[in-house]
Order: sequence, then structure tokens, then C-alpha cells
Amino acid sequence: MTYDKNSKKIVDIIQNFARKHSLWILAYGTGCGAIEVPPTMTSRYDGERFGLRGAATPRQADVLLITGYLATKTLKRVIRTYEQMQSPKYVIGFGSCTINGGMYWDSYNTIKALDRYLPVDVYINGCMPRPESVISGFIKLQQLISEGKANGAEKYQKNLEWYRENQKKVIHNWKMPDYNW
Amino acid sequence: MDINWLKVLGIIITPIIAFIVGVAYGGIVRNITARVQNRFGPPVVQNFWDIIKLYSKKTTVSHGWMHHLAPVFAITASVTTLYFIPVLRDSKLFANLSFSGDLIFLLYIMVFGSLGMALGVGQSGNPNAAIGVSRGLSMMVGYEIPFVLALVAIMIQFHTTSLNDLLAVQDKFTNWIIFQSPIAFIAAILAFLGMMGYAPFDVVIAPAEIASGPPSEFGGKYLGLMQTSRSIFTFAKLVLFTDIFLGGAGDFGTLIVKTFLLYMIPVLTGIVNPRFRTEQAIRFFWKWPTVFGVIAILAVVMKG
Amino acid sequence: MISIPVLLLLIFAAGLLAFIAHHTIPVLRDAIVIIAITIAGYIVWQLPGQTSNVNFSIGMFAINWGVTEYSQLFGLLIAVLSFFALIYSSAFMANKERLGYFYMNFMFSIGAMFGIVYSQDLISLFFFWEIMTWSSFMLTIYCCEEAQSVGLKYFIFSAIGAYSILTAIVIIYSGLGSLQLANIFANFGTMSIAAKLAVVILLITGFGVKSAMMPLHVWAPDAYKMSPAPYTAIFSGALSKMGIFGIGLVLFKLAAGQGFYPYVQEILAWIGALTALFSTFYAIFQTDAKKLLAYSSIGQLGYIITGLAIGTPLSITAALFLTIMHGIFKSMLFLSVGAVYYRTGTTNMNEVSGLIRKMPYTFFTALFGIITVAGIPPLGGFAGKWMLYESLIQSNHYFLVIVIFFASTAAFLYLYRFIFSMFLGQEEKETENVKEAPLRMIVPMLILAVSTLVFGVFPGLLLKPISGAMGYLGNFQHAWETSVLFNNWGSEIDLNTIVTSIGGVFIIAWILITVKGYRKNRYVTTKDIHTSGEVPTGNENLTYAIDFYKPFERALGSVLKPSVDKLYNYTGKLLEDSFEHLRYVYTGNGQTYAMYVMGFLLILFLFSELIFGVAL
Repeated sequence: MTYDKNSKKIVDIIQNFARKHSLWILAYGTGCGAIEVPPTMTSRYDGERFGLRGAATPRQADVLLITGYLATKTLKRVIRTYEQMQSPKYVIGFGSCTINGGMYWDSYNTIKALDRYLPVDVYINGCMPRPESVISGFIKLQQLISEGKANGAEKYQKNLEWYRENQKKVIHNWKMPDYNW
Repeated sequence: MDINWLKVLGIIITPIIAFIVGVAYGGIVRNITARVQNRFGPPVVQNFWDIIKLYSKKTTVSHGWMHHLAPVFAITASVTTLYFIPVLRDSKLFANLSFSGDLIFLLYIMVFGSLGMALGVGQSGNPNAAIGVSRGLSMMVGYEIPFVLALVAIMIQFHTTSLNDLLAVQDKFTNWIIFQSPIAFIAAILAFLGMMGYAPFDVVIAPAEIASGPPSEFGGKYLGLMQTSRSIFTFAKLVLFTDIFLGGAGDFGTLIVKTFLLYMIPVLTGIVNPRFRTEQAIRFFWKWPTVFGVIAILAVVMKG
Repeated sequence: MISIPVLLLLIFAAGLLAFIAHHTIPVLRDAIVIIAITIAGYIVWQLPGQTSNVNFSIGMFAINWGVTEYSQLFGLLIAVLSFFALIYSSAFMANKERLGYFYMNFMFSIGAMFGIVYSQDLISLFFFWEIMTWSSFMLTIYCCEEAQSVGLKYFIFSAIGAYSILTAIVIIYSGLGSLQLANIFANFGTMSIAAKLAVVILLITGFGVKSAMMPLHVWAPDAYKMSPAPYTAIFSGALSKMGIFGIGLVLFKLAAGQGFYPYVQEILAWIGALTALFSTFYAIFQTDAKKLLAYSSIGQLGYIITGLAIGTPLSITAALFLTIMHGIFKSMLFLSVGAVYYRTGTTNMNEVSGLIRKMPYTFFTALFGIITVAGIPPLGGFAGKWMLYESLIQSNHYFLVIVIFFASTAAFLYLYRFIFSMFLGQEEKETENVKEAPLRMIVPMLILAVSTLVFGVFPGLLLKPISGAMGYLGNFQHAWETSVLFNNWGSEIDLNTIVTSIGGVFIIAWILITVKGYRKNRYVTTKDIHTSGEVPTGNENLTYAIDFYKPFERALGSVLKPSVDKLYNYTGKLLEDSFEHLRYVYTGNGQTYAMYVMGFLLILFLFSELIFGVAL
């Protein structure tokens, strides 16, 4: 068990341990990678062993799972959903499309790098990634959490202007409530 | 004014024990569900991590003071229900306040939490949540009928409305009320299925339909308190049923065995069943469970 | 010592003066009625010190007014509720038309109610009963044109009730030769069995109309809806209790001890329970808040009638306790609906929503109201419900208790719907500028709301006068303590412990959840909800209020199809049609009439032996 390097308080250790072992997933399943989530959670691979569990609404969720390419239209919804989640919150980019656009690298209506719009904590490579790699991605996230490095929410808050600028570049009819944490 | 320190101690530790047992049961249930589905399932302590995580969320949103108070209503109902149930037989420590209330009071305090929750959920303005509340209240009208029928049958059979008196009646194994009035037990246990909210009666929270319904706008500490309350309430209901039908328990070992076996009835029913629609669920409760309840009362009337 | 004539004179004079003042010095109008009702409250309070009755005679009728412990219970209820309703109406009714008419009828019905409870003879009781009917009818049709047909319905049923009472009075007078209540109560047993039964049935029918007993309830929802809110509070809170007052007298002073008494009890108990059940079902599917509350009121009166009819000491205690509590909580609820109406102009639950932040005090009142109606522990309704269930179970009414419990559980549905669709849910653009109701409306509501908590913790405060009233009704005794209730099987509930437990846990949990992460806890609007990532625009309707209980309706199936209202309408139509045919008889032609006369004479001639016994 690795501890939070920045803090030695026992409370933080327990909290990080609990956060690490209880990841409630909000799977944003419009990309093709969504088809790999059910096998990850059902009896062949059983993600619940690691404390993974589906969440119904963003208010309850910890992890936003972006399963594949994002059209500019859906990006708006993803941003909204992310902003509705409660901190600490994590984003996992799933599949090549979220890293560099993948097979949609020259598409006119998908975004290429998710990192420019949302703070991604862990990428899972592959087109599409197998459940094994999905699980390894989650284990990587758990490591980051226990090391205190999975602080995407703070990054997003700090660099909000930069993110907003990028977001507004692709979303033209920007009618969103302010992010007010 | 002299303070009864034993009582104070009981009042402090009873909810803690109920919390621990209730949450552990939750973990075990997830494990059993996993085994039935041919999976390994999470560790038994998983639900503890979930609750600690929910409490250690850094931010929360509320939609107003009624929304803020909803989990408070829920936990008040759970803990008060627990206080008015004798957890162990003839135990001074765990009798708590059970001499100040009776079964009819328990019936009413048990809905206190649901109503408070429903009010808080209402303020969030989420239509899914309101649909969930509408379903939940409608279902409640369904399962309360057989439950009350069973309770009335027992009350008139033993001429008491007090839980402690019912415990005193069941002084030995053959005198358990499950053997003295089995039909009432059948009616009550069918109502119990609806009360626990497992499938096929889980239309209230149906995550795939209405985004988990009532709790859909709750996160962080609110959801944490609701989970805590739910665990305590589950344990309280199990103890209530054990006290009424299974002769209570003299020590914690017996209590755990009895409540666990009782808990397995709704859980195992739930794992292998699909979901009823609301009106199907209500009609189910108004059919066979009600018939059993009426037969139970008639049986008592004929006998006495 | 000031006595009953002063009280009645004061109230009626205040009504007339308010009418005059409205046309001359409008400023004085509200002051007159409020001062009058305050003084009246004081007079009612000190009335038990009165020992001798007031006797005088008008023509051949000996009038007799006096105070009993039973009437004092109702007198105090009327005084308190009227006081709050009048303060409320001074703000609510400001800037309305025909206020002289309104206040005159308001005061007249208050005076008439005082008259009813303090009458000791049937003539003055009937006289005041009719004044009450008239003045309430006047206020039912006060609002608008649409109210006229509603008023007609109310009036027809009131007339049925009045004629039943009058017939009963005639039977009593012909049997006993006296109309003094004391004489009647003492000598009722000497009448013939048929007369006794007729009197009891007729009186219960007559009083049952006012307390909206099924199947005589059909006037109530519309009449409650149409009358102005402050008066609705009195209408449902106090005026309907006059029916209960009468039924109590009939049951325990006349019917008790007669051969048919058990049957009357049983039938009345079942009528009460079925009233409760069906009106609850109807209430669930209403869209108008006032109609919903009206059906709820009918249902609650059903419980009270059941409690009275069972006739054990515990059940009578429960019924009288519920009578007082119903007066309080139903006034609160109608007043809070009135406050919403005052600010938004509608009582339709599908049109307003999300008022909780705009009208917090009104919400608080409504919240306390619904918790009390539901009978949930810390508030006053619980003690009454508890006693009612215990008495039903312990007097071997097993299936009655199930029906009552069914109605009571189903009541959660409409109560939640009421508070949800008006105060909770989405905050809509239309209600953006709504403010809290004025202080004169808030204060009476809040005082009533707090009183439910007081009576919930210390039901003994009410049980003291109730046990006095029960002593008058027939030496019923039931043990009670200030905050401990007992049942017949030796169980007890200690409300102090219960309230301490609930309150303690509630406050601890409240503090914990507020302190935890207080700084990082922020408020979001009702538009900021989980909508699958979509951002709802301002005019998008996200409220779920229409057909709120569709699943429950489906589950009930065809249970709700037969309606008493439709039966009456059908009968009315049938009569109308038959009169239409009858009209052809009156042709307006002299020759036809001459022929009728000839025919009549011919019949007389032919059947004279049969009719008169002699051949013409």
C-alpha cells in the first residue's frame, strides 16, 4: 500500500484508501468502446472485484469513462456531465480516439485529443482495448489515487480559462452554466 | 434527575452495532449476488469503503434546505425505529426505549423516513426522482396492507400490541409465532419482500429506467448518510421480524444467524427475478399476501 | 359573569355592524370583527363558570341555552379557529368586492355555530342550524358565477338534512311533548321502537350531511373549493364539526341503550370507514389543491365518525381528539393553500410548483399540516390515530381497522402530491416574482402549526377537556396522562420519550450533515439536475406533476368507476326527463283542464264506494 506523499495524516490515508477501492463509474457510452464495458463488469472479468461499480447519475459517480471518439456535439454533454460530478473526480480516456483521434484523426466533427478539453487522469490505449487492459487502466488509476497524483479536478479548476477557451473553439453555440466550484 | 447510564450506553452503541452489521450484510449480499452470477464479487468490507468514500467527497451540492434535510429525516426514522425495538431478549442494555412504544407506533415511525426522503427528493426538481417517489409511495400502499393484516392477526391472537409482550409469549422454540400462526408469517414475509426493495419489487430505484430514482440528485455526504441510514434500517427491520416471528434472540450469535437467514429470503428472491411494473407489484400484494392475511385473521377469530 | 345571550348578540351585531361599516367607514370593518371575535373568545373561555341556563320563551317555544362540557369543547374550537381565520382574512380579503356581505355572513355562521353548541332545546338548535346553512350557502356562492350551481347542490343537500332534522323534531315532539334536550335525553326510551329508530336515522342523516358522510358528501368538494380560503378553513375546520357534534349527541344520548344501538353502531362505523377509504381514493386523483383537501377532509371526518360509532371510551377519546386536531390541521392546510392562491392566483396543482424558496413559512405550515394528517409521530395527528387503531383492534373490529389503515396509508399519496406539486419540484419562470404572503396571513398559520407540535407532545392538554366532554356523553372514562397514552391491553406509549428520541437524533444528524464540508457545500438551482448532460433552457418544463399516480390508478382498475356523484346526476336527469313528460299535462288550454276536472269527478263517482265508503 502506497501512501499519500503530501500528507501523513491518518485520515487522509484512510480516505485515499477508500477512494481507491470504491470507484463508481459513469460510462459515457456513445463511442464504440462502450461495448467493452459490459464484459469488464460481468462474470468473465468481474470488475466488481476491484470495487468498480456503475453509477446512475453524475452526482453519485467518481470516474467518468469516455469510451471512444467524441463528436463536437457530444463533447458539450460530456463537459456538462463532468462539471456536475462531485470532487474528487477522475476521467479515463478509453481507446485511441481519445488520445489522438485514432481512426477519426482527420474527421471534421470529432475532437482529436480529449486532454485539451477535460483533465484526463488515465488513458487506456487500444482500438479497442480489451477488458484486461481496461482493468489495468483502473488499477493504474487506483495507484495514482493512493499516491495522491490523480488530481484532475484541481487541474481543471486551476486552468479553467484554458480549458474553456479550447472548449469554446469547437462548441459554437455555447450556452452553459458557469462552473462554480 | 438520575440518569440511567445503562440506557445511555445502549442508546449510543445500538446504532453503531446496527451500522456495522447492516453494512457488513450489504457486502455479503453483494458477494452472494456475485456468486449466483458466477463471479467472485467484491470483498465483504466493500460497502464500508463505499460509505467512507462518500463521506470523504470534497464537494456536495444541495437544492435547498429540504433537500439538505432529507437524509436527516431518513436516519432519524431508522435510528428511532431501532431504539423502539428490543434488539436482544431480556437484555437491559439493548432494550433501549422499547417499553415506551408499541407496534402501531413502529408502523408509523417507519414511514417517517420515507416521507422525509420524498420531500427532500421533491425539492431537487428531478423528474426521474419524482417518478421514483410516485412509484415508491404507490408500492407502499401495496405492501402495507398484508403487513398490517398479519400484525393485526398477531395482535388479536396474543392480546397485546407491545413487542416485549410478544417476546415474552415466545419463551421456547415451539412457541415461536412462526409456528403458532404460520399464515400470518407468510403474509408478513411476502410484504417484507416489498419492504426491502429487492427485485421483483425494485421499481422504485430501477437504475436503468429512471437513473436510480429518488437518490439521483444526492451525492457525497448526502448519499453517504442515506446509505448509512439504509443499512441501519435494514438491520432494524430484520430484528423487528425476528422479534415478532422467530422468538427474538438471546445473544448476538443467534441474532446474526436468524436475521441473516431472514435476510436471505428477499435477497435470493431478488437475484433470480426480473422487475415488476408498479401496478403489477401493487396487484401482487393485494392478491395472495392479502388473502393470506385475511385467512390469518379469520383463523384467529374462529379459534378464539 | 357574561353569558350566552351576550355572546350571540355580540357576534351577530358585529356581523351587521361590519356590513354597515363597509358601506360607510370601511376602515372599521376588519377592526369590528376581530375585536368582536376576541371578546367572544374571552366569553367562551369563562363560560364554564356559568351555572344556570338561560331560559325564556318565544311564543309557545321555551328556549333554553346552557353550557355543557361537551359543547364547551366545540365552542372553544370554533372561537380559536374563527379568531385566526378572521385575522387571516383581514389580509386575504383586502381589495375584494362585497366585503360587507362577506363579513356579515362570516360572523353569522360563527354566531350560528356558537348557538348550535350552546342550545339546550331543539327549536333553537334547528334555528341556528338553518342560519348556519344559509350563511355558509351565501359564502359558497360569493366568489363567482360558476359557484351558483355548486351552491345549488350544497343547498339541496342541506335542505335534505334540514328536513330530516325537522321531521325528527316533529316525531320527538309528538312522542314526548317536549323539546328540551334534557327531557328528551331522559325520556327517549319511552317512545315506540319505530319512532326511536326513525328519529335516530333521520338525525344522523341530517347531521351527516354537514359532516359530509358518504353518500351525502357530494356537495363538499365543490363547496369547499368555491368558498374563499379563510372561510374554507372554518367550513372544514369548524362547521363540519357541527355534524360530528350532533352525531355524538344522537349516538350517546339517544341511541345508546336502545335495542338497535349495536346495529346503528356497526353500520355507522362501516359508513365512516368506507367514507374514509373512497374519499382518499378520490383525493389521490384530484388536480385542484382545494378539492384534494376537501376529499381529505371528508376522509378524516370518516375516521371521526368511525371512532364515535365504535363507542368504547378509547375510541370516543380518539374521535374527539381527532375532531380538534382535524379542526386545527385542516384550517392550516386550507389557509396555506389560500396563501398560495393569494400570491399566484391559482389552486391548480399542475400550474404552480417550486414555491418552497419563495414562500418558506407557508411551506412550513403545509409541511406540519401534512405530517399531522398523516399521523406521523412527533405531531398531533399521531396520538389520535394511535388511539383510534388501538380502540378498533381491542373492540374486535379487525376488518374495520384494515380499511381504516388502508385509507390512512393511501393518504400519504395525496398528501405528498399536495405538497410536492405546489411547493417542491421545478421552480418555474411564471412564479419568479412570487413573494411570501403578508404577515397577517403567516402568523395565524404558524401559530396553528406550532400548536400541532404542542398537542403532539402533550396530548393531555386536549384530553382534559375531552374527558370532561365524555363524562357528559355518558360516563366514559379512559385513563391518560399529560404525555402518556394507554390502550386497553396495558400497553402505553410515552410521547415524551418518543419526541426526545426523534428530536435528538434529528438534531444530531442535522448538525453533523451541516458541519461536514460546510464550505464546500453549495446551492444549485432546480435546473441544475441530472438531465443526461443536456442543459435545460428556461422554459423547458421538467416538472412531473400531471397524472402523478398513474401506476396506482392502473392498479386500482375499475374500483373508482362507480361514483355517487354520477348516480345523483343520473337521478336528477331522470327526474328532469320525467317532469318534461309531465309538462305535457299542463297544456295551458282551458278545455283540457275542464276535461281533467270532468275526469276527476267521474273517477270520484265511479269509485266513491271504495274511497268514501258510501255511494254517491
